[in-house]
Amino acid sequence: MTTLSGIRRFAALVAAAALPAAAALAQASIEGSVRLPKPEHAPVMNKRYGIVAYAGVLSPYPPLAVVYLEGSFPPSEPKTAQVVQKDLTFVPYLLAVRVGTRVEFPNLDNTYHNIFSYSPAKRFDLGRYRSDERPIPSVVFDAAGLVTLRCDIHEHMRALILVVDTPHFVLSDAEGRYRLDGLPAGRYLLKVWVDSKTTLVRAVDLSPASALREDFP
Amino acid sequence: MIPSPERTSVASFRTKLLVAMMLIVTAVAAAGLAFAQRSAASAVRQEFQGEFREMLAASHAAQEVRDAALAERCRALARRPRIHAALEDGAPDLLYPSARDEMADVMGRAREAAAYSLHALYYRFLDSRGRVMTPPGAGEAGALEAGDEARLSLGSLPEAQQTGYLIRNSGEVDEVVAMPIVSTESGGVISAIVVGFRAPWAVAGGAGIRSGAWLDGRLAFPSLGEPERGVLASAMARAIGARGPAEGGLELSAGGDPYLLFYKLLNPGSLFPPAYEVSVYPLGSLLERQRRLLWQFGGAGALLLVGAFFASRLLSDRLSKPVEKLAEDSQENRAHWHRAEAALEMTSRELQRSARFSADASHQLKTPVTVIRSGLEELLAGDNLRPEAREEVAGLVHQTFRLASIIEDLLLLSRMDAGRLQIQFSRLDLAPLLAGLLDDLSAFPDAFGLGVDADLAPALWATGEKRFIALILQNLLENARKYNRSGGRIRIASRGQGEWAVVSVGNTGAPIPPASREHIFERFHRGAVGENVPGHGIGLNLARELARLHGGSLQLSVSEGDWTEFELRLRRSTGADAANPA
Repeated sequence: MTTLSGIRRFAALVAAAALPAAAALAQASIEGSVRLPKPEHAPVMNKRYGIVAYAGVLSPYPPLAVVYLEGSFPPSEPKTAQVVQKDLTFVPYLLAVRVGTRVEFPNLDNTYHNIFSYSPAKRFDLGRYRSDERPIPSVVFDAAGLVTLRCDIHEHMRALILVVDTPHFVLSDAEGRYRLDGLPAGRYLLKVWVDSKTTLVRAVDLSPASALREDFP
Repeated sequence: MIPSPERTSVASFRTKLLVAMMLIVTAVAAAGLAFAQRSAASAVRQEFQGEFREMLAASHAAQEVRDAALAERCRALARRPRIHAALEDGAPDLLYPSARDEMADVMGRAREAAAYSLHALYYRFLDSRGRVMTPPGAGEAGALEAGDEARLSLGSLPEAQQTGYLIRNSGEVDEVVAMPIVSTESGGVISAIVVGFRAPWAVAGGAGIRSGAWLDGRLAFPSLGEPERGVLASAMARAIGARGPAEGGLELSAGGDPYLLFYKLLNPGSLFPPAYEVSVYPLGSLLERQRRLLWQFGGAGALLLVGAFFASRLLSDRLSKPVEKLAEDSQENRAHWHRAEAALEMTSRELQRSARFSADASHQLKTPVTVIRSGLEELLAGDNLRPEAREEVAGLVHQTFRLASIIEDLLLLSRMDAGRLQIQFSRLDLAPLLAGLLDDLSAFPDAFGLGVDADLAPALWATGEKRFIALILQNLLENARKYNRSGGRIRIASRGQGEWAVVSVGNTGAPIPPASREHIFERFHRGAVGENVPGHGIGLNLARELARLHGGSLQLSVSEGDWTEFELRLRRSTGADAANPA
């Protein structure tokens, strides 16, 4: 399956590289940094809880932000992403996908997992399966919103999938730096998702080949 | 040997002793038995209560284990990811359907469950205000009447597990566990799951102990009949009142049977209404045991009393033996005493009779002697007597004087014997008295040619009656003259010696043989030596008696060789000496 996904990624890269060079020249970019919140309470076990909940807020840990440009974009070819279950955690614990993306949930542990979500953006229940389940259980996320992934067997396991209706999104690095490339010119809303209750919004006017710098806050 | 009154008094002593011992033994035994019975009864009662409490404790322990298991089940349920997802990820419609899956193994077969079953009867979720969220489908989360369901609501969401009890409208009792569901996102309580289980006492209890519940002023006690339930309910209402103690016990009688009742608050501090477990234990067998105990003690007491009766009897017999002996002895003593008294009485009577006889005789004799003397003196006064006859008659007159003197002495003695002689004590100087007596002595016709020596104190005062002292001294001087020898001597000496006035009268002549010395003072005794000496044997006796009556003494002081001497001691009147030193 690693091979399989590798092939798909490779195909995606080839498709991106095939874009006309002129269009690439005309495209704008935004870069900057997001001041990531320092979680006040460290999780009980390092890396075990990719998502921590505090005072009703779900945040990724270590903190990460999703930066995306909201606007009206033409539909793109459906993509596939993966959230694996390994060592009784979801990897990655924060995933951003465009609406219509199929996300596969391979089980890399030698125990059962049962991934489900009751989130309004996507309700599903993959049932119990083991690592040898074929095809790999997957879900197409067809509506924007935050989806909480849970495992029915392991109550501590949680992951977030942020479904956005844009092809232009990126995860910051651990320091909060990000860079969005290949952006079409136009007026958009630049959004930064920090946690389940916090999304920062800033209007941006992108001229062709401009390079903006937007730091939050 | 012992007269019957003594026998009966000893017998009555024995009876009294027996009765006293029996009374004491009965009292002690009764007190001891009563105490022992009471303590045994209380021991039995305590044993019963202990048994009861042990059974209760065992049942409570089992209940605790069950409650812990139930709580653990509920806690596990409250952690279920689907339930959390339904509550936290905005899917309330999926709450009961998700729970149905989760609860599938907890629910079911509860109706057939045993007393301590872990199967649930129903479950409900509470909303953020603690009210029951009614499940979408009837019977989806376990059937429950609307009224009963409403009573599962709490005023607010509980922070911790709550235990409660529900008496359903049908009268069944359920144990209810409310477990808060804590958000993993906010850390706050977002809901609670309330699970109803069959209460352990809904199923009929063991042989002895029976339990029910008291809640909201209602008693649920399926294993008791209606009348007993009524009594129990009013007893609980009294015992607990509005806010009663957490636990307690009491005894009550229901339907004619005594019960031990114990109640315990099951859910202290719970948000659910306080519920008491009410356990009763029939005391019928306890009373039976106590009755048996009473009989046993009664029997033991009777046996003890019978034993004590015989022991007391034996003991009282033993103890009364010496008393009987004492009574006999005292009786004998009394008899002796009576005899001695009678003898004394007789002696004294005889003595009096003889004294009276002597006195009578003396009186009777004095008159004829006087008649004879006056007759003889008349004869002497006549002229018709021849000179020889005249001498004869003169001798006879002299004899009448002697006779009169003897009679006088006898009369005196008899008066002394009768105790009728009273000495008129007065102060008396012995010196002139002795001088007079010595004059009389020298005037006496002297056949022996006696020489008289006198060694007299110039004045010697004594106390006494003069005529009796004179009589004593006359007797002594006469004896000294009579028992003297030819050409002998008489010696009279007087002196003061301390409190005594001592007069000694000595004479020469044959001494008194030692064997006779003891008897010379006896009445009518006459010395063996003096067969030819005139006398009647009362002189010394009279003298000594008179000396004694004067508080003095008369003794033979010397009688050896050619000398015999008597010594008279009289009480000296010393004060008079000082007053009249003449």
